[in-house]
Amino acid sequence: MKRFDYYQPESLKEAYQLMEKFKGEALYVAGGTDVIVRIKQRAIEPEALISLRGLKELRGIKDNGGLTLGAGTLFRDIERYPLIAKEYPALHQAASMLANLQIRNVATVGGNLCNAAPSADSAPPLIVLGAMVVLEGPGGKRKMSLEDFFTGPGQTAKEPQEIMREIHIPEKDANTATVFLKIGRVSQDIAIANAAALVTMENKVCKRCRLAVGAVAPVPLRLKGIEEKIEGEEITDDLLQEVEKMVCDAVSPITDVRATKEYRRTVSGVLVKRAIAQAVASLEG
Amino acid sequence: MRKVISFTLNGYNVSAEVESHKMLLEVLREHFELTGPKEGCGQGECGACTVLVDGYNVDSCIYPAFEVDGKSVVTVEGLLREGNKLHPIQQSFVENGGVQCGFCTPGMIMSAAALLNENKDPSEEEIKRAISGNLCRCTGYVQIVESIKKAAEMI
Repeated sequence: MKRFDYYQPESLKEAYQLMEKFKGEALYVAGGTDVIVRIKQRAIEPEALISLRGLKELRGIKDNGGLTLGAGTLFRDIERYPLIAKEYPALHQAASMLANLQIRNVATVGGNLCNAAPSADSAPPLIVLGAMVVLEGPGGKRKMSLEDFFTGPGQTAKEPQEIMREIHIPEKDANTATVFLKIGRVSQDIAIANAAALVTMENKVCKRCRLAVGAVAPVPLRLKGIEEKIEGEEITDDLLQEVEKMVCDAVSPITDVRATKEYRRTVSGVLVKRAIAQAVASLEG
Repeated sequence: MRKVISFTLNGYNVSAEVESHKMLLEVLREHFELTGPKEGCGQGECGACTVLVDGYNVDSCIYPAFEVDGKSVVTVEGLLREGNKLHPIQQSFVENGGVQCGFCTPGMIMSAAALLNENKDPSEEEIKRAISGNLCRCTGYVQIVESIKKAAEMI
């Protein structure tokens, strides 16, 4: 491991100033459960880490019709927030399946998104919920949809000096259900594949559908074409079979130590099919 | 880069001058000579280094030492009660065969302590979830879960 300096700014302004000073040789770090491990593995060798843990303005969950998550909110806090469990079960499920307790006690949702692993468990549920992320830098704030935020494995639209501040989730429509599913060797493992579905039903017809899969493409992937196929339809077994096939064709997985690309392709279709079916069932139940 | 950090360690106010790249685990083992927490993987996978920070179980091998400034840290040594009496969780691991090679034990016990601080009567499923970040390569999980269950009854 290469040695690094560790700064603990007390304001966003101070954080930006430190980042400016190191001119690209520094990294922001929140919980550190990805960044520190990568430093230990010598995958990255930053001169300095700028810790965002002390910035209270990045923490906390606000229920304002929709939901605002401070980017520095711990997965443990998301997992234990009763309104999220009740109204946004896909996010609750992802937060409670992400790694293990020791990690969830320090890892943050903003860190998970900014590290931009294609397998990031928080990404598919937040994408189907229509999340917008707020990025802030010395030049001001900007807002973008989460699906546009990811640009490649480990790559995002965030400029190095910017900090993710908040994640906004719009108010939930009536008759809407969400489900998150994950395949891993065990659930706390990094996902071989994961998927989230949102469905809004009206008189047995799917009025609105949002689908996203992870670990099967260079970025967490929204499946727009397949959503359009489902909207306006009754969700039958035949339709779900067709959806399963379409997902397998839409993804572009790789083979790695966790699974082959063939397995990922097959299982992503199954996960999406099951997630839709479970979401519909939860509305009927 | 160095800094003096002050924190509560097993109930005592302590301070130490540490380097910025040091993790809490190294400071506990090398500076404070508390060798209960172990380095297994060093990457936050195995949980052998588990300690409590402000009551929550964390992997001390990936917890920057600078971050414990002003916080409270408890290691397995800190569970001992007056007169070096074992804590009920420790006693239960001894009595119920929860210890085989012993390497995972301090971490297991700290995850159990975090669980029992919040939930006095956990189900078997809740116990298993609570120790899912602690690997036992002797695979003695049945006795470990049993030890935690019995400890909950003792507390």
